[in-house]
This record gives sequence, C-alpha cells and structure tokens, in this order.
Amino acid sequence: MSGAAVDRPPRVVPETADPDTGGFFAAAARGELALCACAACGAVLHPPRAYCAACGRWDTVWRTVSGRGRLYSWTTVEHQAHRAFPVPYTIVLVELDDASEARLVGYLPGRPELEAGMPMRVWFEPVDDQGTLLPQWRPEPIDSIDGA
Amino acid sequence: MSPVPDGAPHRDRCAISGIGTTRFSSNSGRSTLSLAVEASLAAVADAGLRPSDVDGIVRCDMDGVAHNDLAQALGLRELTYWGSSGPGGAAPGGMISQAVGAILSGQATTVLAFRSLNGRSGARFGRSGSGGSGGSGRRPRPVGGRGTYDEFFVPYGLVAPGQLFSLLARRHMVEFGTTPEQLGHIALACRARANANPAAQMADRPLSMEDYLSARMISSPLRLFDYCLETDGACAVVVTSAERAADGPEAPALIRAVAQSAGPEPQFGFLFPTLLRDSLTTQTSKSVAETLYRRAGLGPADVDVAQFYDCFTITVLLQLEDYGFCAKGEGGPFAGSGAIDKGGSLPINTSGGHLSEGYIHGLNHIVEGVRQIRGTSTSQVTGAEVCLVTSGLPVTTSALVLRRAS
Repeated sequence: MSGAAVDRPPRVVPETADPDTGGFFAAAARGELALCACAACGAVLHPPRAYCAACGRWDTVWRTVSGRGRLYSWTTVEHQAHRAFPVPYTIVLVELDDASEARLVGYLPGRPELEAGMPMRVWFEPVDDQGTLLPQWRPEPIDSIDGA
Repeated sequence: MSPVPDGAPHRDRCAISGIGTTRFSSNSGRSTLSLAVEASLAAVADAGLRPSDVDGIVRCDMDGVAHNDLAQALGLRELTYWGSSGPGGAAPGGMISQAVGAILSGQATTVLAFRSLNGRSGARFGRSGSGGSGGSGRRPRPVGGRGTYDEFFVPYGLVAPGQLFSLLARRHMVEFGTTPEQLGHIALACRARANANPAAQMADRPLSMEDYLSARMISSPLRLFDYCLETDGACAVVVTSAERAADGPEAPALIRAVAQSAGPEPQFGFLFPTLLRDSLTTQTSKSVAETLYRRAGLGPADVDVAQFYDCFTITVLLQLEDYGFCAKGEGGPFAGSGAIDKGGSLPINTSGGHLSEGYIHGLNHIVEGVRQIRGTSTSQVTGAEVCLVTSGLPVTTSALVLRRAS
C-alpha cells in the first residue's frame, strides 16, 4: 500500500456492471455524460431502466448530454456518517440544463460558498485503478474548488 | 350496512381498543422480541383481552421481530392473518390499513400492530457502512446495482437519511425563504410537549431557541435538534371491529379513515432516488392527504390535534403544507405563529414525537393519537374529537384519522 493510500480511507466505488445502469458508467469511463432515453419517444429514463412507461417500448439508447447544469440543492455534512467521507464535505444536487427530468449528485470538499441556480459543470474523477470514472460537479467558472 | 357514497366503506367500522408501550431508553438491555412482547401484552390487556384473542399481526418491514416470532412468544392460539408494511417509517398507517382490511374481510378479528427496535443500542440509522470495504482484489466492493440505484448517490457521500432531508430543507429555504428559526419552532413545540410527558426521553430537558440555534450543525441546514432521537423501545396497538371495541374497558378510538400513497412518481429504491421527483417540497403526504380526507369525509379544519411523523423538523413542516393546514410555502410562518403549540389551532405531537418523546418509527404517534381521543394525553387538547396521525416519508407514506365515538 502506498503512503498516499494510507492517508486516505478507501473510496466508495459504484457498481458499473448493472444491466440497467451500467451504460451510464460505461459512458463516464469514456469521459462522456450520458442518460438513458427511450429510442422511440425520446423520454429521458433516469434512473436508467429498460422499459419506457410513457410509450410502452423496450428500446433504449444512451444519449450524451452537455454536462452543464444548475445547482438545485446542497448540504454541507458536518457529522461523519461513513469512514470514507471525512467531514466537512458538501453534497450537491444538480439539475441538468438539457434534461431537466434528471438530477445528478456530486461531492465537493469542505464548505464551498454556493447559491441556488448557479451554473455547474461536470468533470470525471478516477475512483479506482480499473478505469472507473465518476461524474462529478463543480461550480462554473472554476474558482476556489480544488480537484479533490 | 349502507354503503358510503364516496368509496370509503371502512369508515368508522374498526377501532383501536388497546395501546401499549415499553419504557423508552437509550439502552434497553433486552431483545427486540422481549420489547415487542411487553408492548403487545400491555396493549392486549388495555383492550380487555387475552393474547389468545389475537388472530392477526401486522409489522414494519424493518422490524427484527417477524409475525411468527411474536405469535410464538405470546403463545397465540392460531395466527390466521399477518402482513408487513413499509418501507420503514411509512409503515404504521399501512399496518392499520392492513388490520382494517383483514377485519372487514373476515380474515381476522383482533389484530396487533407493533414496532420494536433497539434504535440506540442496536442497529443505528445513519451509520452507513456500505461500500468501500470488504471487497477482494484491487477494487473495493462496489455499491449499488440490483435495483437499489445507490450507485448514483452513495459514492458521493450521500449515505444517511438526514442528509437527504437536509437537501429537502435547503430546497424549501430556496423556494420559500424558510428560516432555521421556523424549523426551530417545531423542535421547541415537540420538546415542550415532552417536558409534560414523564415517559418521554427528553422529559427533563427543556429546549430554548438559543439552545436550538447554537447546537452543532449535523448536515446543513439541519442542526442537532432538527434530528429525532434514537430510542430503544416498543409500541403496540390492538385493532378490532368497532362493535368489539365498544365492549372493551376503554373508549374506542374509531378509525375514521386510513390511506396509503406512493404519489404520482414513487421513484425507485429505499430513499435517495426520491431526489429525482419533480418537486422536493411537495411530498407523498400531499396525495395521501387527498385520499384520506376524501375517505374520512373530513378536512383539515375538522382536525383538533395532529401527530406528525417527525424524523426531522423539516418533515413536519412539509406535512403542515401537504395536509392542507397552510398554503404551500407557508409552513415556516405557520410553525412560527404558535399554531402548532398546545393552545394553538393545531397542537402537534402532544407526547413529544420522535424529536423528543422517542423514536418508535411512527407507532408512538398512533399510541398518542389514541390517548388524545380517550382524553388521557399528558398534553390533552380539550374536547379533542378528531386526531390526524401520519407516517413517514418520502418514499411512500400512510396516515389515518382517529375519531371519538359519539
């Protein structure tokens, strides 16, 4: 184990091989933000699933979206609940500009100054040595937020 | 029996005839089975019955005690009906709903509804251990998949219910300008009722607004006293037909109506995907309220006292709006107006609720609702005839209206 790894608790990595959601992480591994959508009627299906209740079809695609959004809500965690997440840190909930049906969560270190509606931009964080990338969000323009 | 025209044939036909609780503590030193048995025996005796009269059991899906466990421990003669409701805190109203359904359909005559937990000394909520450990090889065991959708939330540090409710509270502040002081009034109202209730865990601990505001932040904007207690204990109630309940030693609390709702957009999983609903500030409480009031033939103006599920202060504030006691967005000013205090237009959580009596996952709210109907609460609302009792959110929810027999 390297010295850096000793300092840092183990990361929580996402399941990337689920039959319904794996495509999201496959796209992320390519540096793309993609949402599941119905190939027939175009409905965004997030969280991802194989059946579109809007039109009754089983034909879905992974649609690449811009990676821009707006801050919808956030909380700064001050009481530690999980050893992998030392406090303080901030959970952000981001509404996507080009798919308002979908909201995605992100992690920011510390207690950043945030305000509702501020523009947010996706980036992709390596979380293991297997090539898994986790879509993350930070305020745009990038200022005081470091790369975590 | 003549049918009720608006589709609520269960109206007033069943009642809660017995209530029972254990002591509420931070370390019971006993099994959840023992706690469940003690509360159940107390409820059955309170109903003027013997355990052998019980033929149905309904439970919360998160309870460690299964129906057959309790039936065996109580020495029931024959259990002919059982069911589970949930998830988690959404259960209590649903448990009563199942009991009513079983009784009216002839599948049981006397149904125990219970919740038992060592919520402090045993498995604690919000203590997430999921992921990040226990894996083999070079990659830790991943979180999510298998329909949980946790892979979209937990890797970002969203691991506890309080963090989700903090996101709801922040959003309510963004949309409506709700303030910490307004949430504080909910914590203070519950604490003041607990201070009058010797059985409450916080019976001897007053709380001022200064205490509330100066307490440590847990997950902003929610502070320590926005969070409920962690409790070891159990509650149980006996549900039977209104006719049978009339023969009992205590005044029956008629079940005027009961309802469950998953809302128009239930979402997946146990908790976190509810963040994807169209609105975070209108919850499943809104749709359950519409169904409940229709079935009851009553509205918010008819409610004399309410026991709101209060895992967090914001949970109460959202329900004040969703159940129609004030307009959407006005929950903060309503809470701050004194309306929810003992002398107000809508006294709430008269035993202290989860915030200050104890956390029995919504069952203690039903017990206190029955006390109000009987006139035996430690914060009795004079002349209370109609009590609203709600259960947890956000995934699904349930609620009931209790009424004094006229």
